[in-house]
Amino acid sequence: MNNVIAQLWPEIALFVTTCLVMVVGLSKDRGTRKLCAPISAIGIIVAGYLAATTSVDTATTLPFMAKYGKVLAAGVGLLLLMLMAGTADRQLEDAVDRGEKFEPLRSTRAEFYAFFLFSLMGLMLCAGASDLIFLFLALELTSLPTYVMVALSTRRDRSMEAGVKYFFLGAMGAAMFLFGFALIYGATGSTALADVAYTIQNRAAGTGSIGPLALTGLVLSLLGVMFKIAAVPMHFYTADVYQGAASSVTAFLAFVPKCAGFFAIMLLVGCAGWAFGPDGYGSGTALPPELRILLWTIAVLTMTVGNVLALLQTSVKRILAYSSIAHSGYMLVGVIAGPGPAESTLASNGLAAVLFYLLTYGVMSVGTFSVVAALERRRRATAADAAIDEVDHIDELRGLWKRQPHLAAVMVICALGLLGLPPLLGFLGKLPLFTSALGAGEIVLVVILGLNSAIAAAYYLRLVSVPFLESGEPSTPDAVVPTPFPSRALAGVVAAVLVVVAGLAGGTLGSHAERAGTFRFPTKTMEATRHASQPTSTVSVPPDAAERGPNAR
Amino acid sequence: MSGLAGQLAIMHETLGSLALAAGDAAHAQPRFGTGVGAKFDVPRLFGLIPFIPLLACALCGLCAAMKVKTKLPAAITVGCLLASFGLTIGLYAQVHANPGDFAIIHAFEWINFQWGQSEAQSLTANFSFYADSLTALWMLFVTGLATLIALYASEYMSHDVGQGYCRFFMAFSLFVFSMACLVMGDNLALLFLGWEGVGLCSYLLIGYFYKKPSAVAAAKKAFVVNRIGDLGLSLGVMLAFVQFGSLEYAEIFRKAEPFLALARDGQWQDIPWTVQLIPILLTIGAFGKSAQLPLYVWLPDAMEGPTPVSALIHAATMVTAGVYLVARMFPLFLVSEHALTIVAWGGALTALLAATIGMAQFDIKRIMAYSTVSQLGYMFCGLGVMGVMGGPAHVFTHAFFKAMLFLACGAVMHGFAGQLDLRKLSGLGKMPGWRIVTVAMFVGCINLAGVPFITAGFYSKDTILGDAFANPAMVPIGWILLITAGLTAYYTFRVFFRVFVGPAYYEPGDELHAHDDHSHDHAHANKDHGHDSHGHGHSAWQPHPPGWAINTVLILLTILSFAAIVTVFKADGWLYRMVTNSSAGAGIAADHHHKFFGFDAHAAMKVVSGIVAIAGIAVAFVLHYSGRTSAATSKADSLVPMLGPIPRWAQNKWYVDEFYHFLFVRPLWLLSVVFAAIDKVLVDGLVNVFGWVPKALAKTARPLQNGVLHDYALRMAGGVALLLLIIVLMVNRGDRTSAAASIPPTDNSIGTLPAAPAAVDPIAVSLDPIRAKAQEAVR
Repeated sequence: MNNVIAQLWPEIALFVTTCLVMVVGLSKDRGTRKLCAPISAIGIIVAGYLAATTSVDTATTLPFMAKYGKVLAAGVGLLLLMLMAGTADRQLEDAVDRGEKFEPLRSTRAEFYAFFLFSLMGLMLCAGASDLIFLFLALELTSLPTYVMVALSTRRDRSMEAGVKYFFLGAMGAAMFLFGFALIYGATGSTALADVAYTIQNRAAGTGSIGPLALTGLVLSLLGVMFKIAAVPMHFYTADVYQGAASSVTAFLAFVPKCAGFFAIMLLVGCAGWAFGPDGYGSGTALPPELRILLWTIAVLTMTVGNVLALLQTSVKRILAYSSIAHSGYMLVGVIAGPGPAESTLASNGLAAVLFYLLTYGVMSVGTFSVVAALERRRRATAADAAIDEVDHIDELRGLWKRQPHLAAVMVICALGLLGLPPLLGFLGKLPLFTSALGAGEIVLVVILGLNSAIAAAYYLRLVSVPFLESGEPSTPDAVVPTPFPSRALAGVVAAVLVVVAGLAGGTLGSHAERAGTFRFPTKTMEATRHASQPTSTVSVPPDAAERGPNAR
Repeated sequence: MSGLAGQLAIMHETLGSLALAAGDAAHAQPRFGTGVGAKFDVPRLFGLIPFIPLLACALCGLCAAMKVKTKLPAAITVGCLLASFGLTIGLYAQVHANPGDFAIIHAFEWINFQWGQSEAQSLTANFSFYADSLTALWMLFVTGLATLIALYASEYMSHDVGQGYCRFFMAFSLFVFSMACLVMGDNLALLFLGWEGVGLCSYLLIGYFYKKPSAVAAAKKAFVVNRIGDLGLSLGVMLAFVQFGSLEYAEIFRKAEPFLALARDGQWQDIPWTVQLIPILLTIGAFGKSAQLPLYVWLPDAMEGPTPVSALIHAATMVTAGVYLVARMFPLFLVSEHALTIVAWGGALTALLAATIGMAQFDIKRIMAYSTVSQLGYMFCGLGVMGVMGGPAHVFTHAFFKAMLFLACGAVMHGFAGQLDLRKLSGLGKMPGWRIVTVAMFVGCINLAGVPFITAGFYSKDTILGDAFANPAMVPIGWILLITAGLTAYYTFRVFFRVFVGPAYYEPGDELHAHDDHSHDHAHANKDHGHDSHGHGHSAWQPHPPGWAINTVLILLTILSFAAIVTVFKADGWLYRMVTNSSAGAGIAADHHHKFFGFDAHAAMKVVSGIVAIAGIAVAFVLHYSGRTSAATSKADSLVPMLGPIPRWAQNKWYVDEFYHFLFVRPLWLLSVVFAAIDKVLVDGLVNVFGWVPKALAKTARPLQNGVLHDYALRMAGGVALLLLIIVLMVNRGDRTSAAASIPPTDNSIGTLPAAPAAVDPIAVSLDPIRAKAQEAVR
């Protein structure tokens, strides 16, 4: 128990911050209320520091992922927090400015920041999950606050609609992977991921396949988790929800649940392992054929659907929503490629490539969303608060270079980064995906990935050309002006600088991802240590008897 | 052409047999390794040498963003470059203490790429710096001259204070950073980065006066012509990687060792042709950057840039990058049968051709440009004849006096509103305030002409000539160079006698009207010099002599060009040690002792080349000084008709540009028209099809995104069901085949039931709730 707590210090730090924020956010004094964001920032920084210094759990198949994932969550979380400025309670504070009394019941500031931190906490827990139940709770802790955040993000009906859609469909996805988890438990007799992996490997070594029940469990779990990463066929909600939520929250949705989803996918697929080859178990470094086909189909469909649908959009947020879908497809390629041969590097380890890509995608998507978040449409005639709306149509970015050159530059750099143009960060992220898939022999997949990257150029270049090359005023009757929250633009600028700088010298980041992607098959001794340290927490069934339990039902 | 080829073939034979002889005579070769000694450590502090100029670039960019209207960018640049120069001296001290060895300073990881397990399947190129005496030699004059020239430019560019000033110093600092990467990089990738970086800065600075069409055209020409060379270089780098599995010098030299042994024994046939091709490709790159035949055409046009740029980039440093490349990769050049011969002949022909063109030009900056091309030819010859020391030594001495010549020309251009025509200027030495420029010009001229015993240029040029005559295969090159030396002395002093002495006369240049961003500000800038009577009319116009910054730099350079004598005075002096203690020292083995008419070649050359230089100056004196009464004419004019059309041809640069235009540009243009037509019909059509397919797909998929919650749920559930179905089918099929084939029915020890029945059950179980859920969701 002690060592589990020892690894949870970052989450505990976030939890303490959450409690503080909940209280502070309801203060009568505006100065105190406004402390929510700085307190959250300090909490995230502390959590990131703790994550970077905690010990590593060596008992899972991806022993070094937890640390990387938590630091990543803290880092991008900080950028997202900058983006969140002014999202909650804007109308309320404006009303207070006009002399109205502050009503704590109408305020959502405290909840908003608390949910933000909760979700981030869920993401961190996901990265360090070592048990199926733990993983389920972590995934739900990531998602549940986001449903509320979406609904609260603006005062408009479409946010409420988006929140409701997101919640119902999310519940469906959760039910699916929970059911999958149950089947996995049934097949292996354990909820500890290391034990599950050990049992499945052991069986595969004997029979040549991972067993139908475990397979079904894995397939259902994976399909359920596909909701989190917005992959086909669980992607339908994405565009509506992303468009309905405020841009800052959309940026959050594009990174946090996706990241959690990929951590979960890697942990789950890791149980089946990449040890299958043309002659069955142990003859290669591929997934079990059924899982490979499943992920292969999902990856191809996801990137194609995402890119193709993005072509037709005129809403920046919908474009980015579909681009987010497509990027999930790209990253699945890394999962299919797997960790490669022993002691492989970033270029040959697909898992490391995914982890690295999550970082690059997080930074770049925050950058693109920040441009939309840092602008708003103001009706020229009136000055009432109802007259302020989010920027959404791509036409509203027209000529941005003339008016807000820094925002236009952020959009140009980040969109080109998402496109994967060298020498930007996106290229550095995409390259290992390609090379690892090539190393794994997935030539067709690589070709499809390349074609999709080319299709994606069509809409990313639109995001580049409209603000940068096309001149003139937006054709809307409203004025497009910057929001009064400079930290949003700052988040974008920081992201853009990172895209350039890290793109030029990303070796260090890459080597961290390389280490985080280290994949290790569980061994008997590893299982033994787990049992020694946690004699009561895990229901352990000897692997020999594992399949009999559920089958006897 | 065939004659030349035959000549070349004979020479290779001689060279080969000579190398063989050298191999037999053990005493003739102090060492014939790669010239690379042991590794030693230096403080990482010296890794900052390139980055301080980069910092200056960033700060100047900041100045531009903050719209600084003072000379602050110049101060920043000069300060940073001075710091860089100081560090370079420190590095030199370290290198000096470890003669023959090298150090690697690791700055940060840059490219580290692996696609397999074996060592050969990795590509490592870090931001690491290779420090040996060759690096130190180059960096000393690069950072030193850059500091001086930045100081000069602070005054020269003063008419542009503001955005243009920031832009100039940004590109200037970026150039020094790139050049430092090029020279200091410990691998070919970093060299290539620097190579492209200096190319970019050269482009930016040639096109500095971007409103002037000729400057823009010159910038484009420089960039495009350099592309050809860069193609050669990049192919060479790639081939080196393929052949040696690494881009790092230390590694390449280590792996080239066995080939060197073969080359020493003259067993060329045992060296793979791909290895022999590498230096030839590198030569193409070097010829592009260092403006040698046939790629020299960009350099004379590059004089459209501001004069400090011409002095630093297009005379002293960047154009010597090619020489550096050859010197640095000298071990590789030794393993190629033909590479050094190509280098030598390319250099010799360029030296002669450029000198003949230089004789017939009237624009003094252009004459200097052609002399640069010509002198670069000397440097390549110095390397190509396997003398090794002469090339880098001439680079070093040439850097100082040529920079000085350009800066003196720049002072003239600055003072006379862009006037550079030697027929419109005369007797500047007699005008007030021009004495320092005149003295500097004179010192530069005697160096360039190679006046014996009192100039550094004489000693370094003499080394090259001596080396050429000492190598029996290279005697024709020696003669070409000797003739060129005479021509050089003539055209150099033609400038001096026409412009700086004789009757005082001037016509101001057309810069008062030509490009407005230069001239209008010019009038304001002139106030600094205390001349108020500048108008647009020529009558009221007065030249303004250079200020303290220009004069200080000229004085310092004058002193330095004399100081350089010490470094080359003795055949085994400081420069010799700097060169031979590096990878260029690999060629020392080829120590030839051919006689020049019975005398030792080096000793004979000291006399002969001295006589030739004096003779050239004497001819210039007679034709252009004695009895000249006006600026526009001289005695030489009466000789011109006697030579027929030759002077006209030379003045028109032997029509090389026109020839290239006819040979390459026109056919390519025609080809491009054809390709454009094909592109429009075929490729665009194909692309449109590819563009149309995703759109059609999108239109099909779009209705699925109808925004209705239960439709979404139904589709998700449907998708899940479909995927599950695929898995079920796969499992069933897989089990059937595997049950039939491999797994024996008795193998139940793990505890599974026989596979086939087990496969169906749970999935049937698992599908039910999904369906139920799907229906629920639909409802």
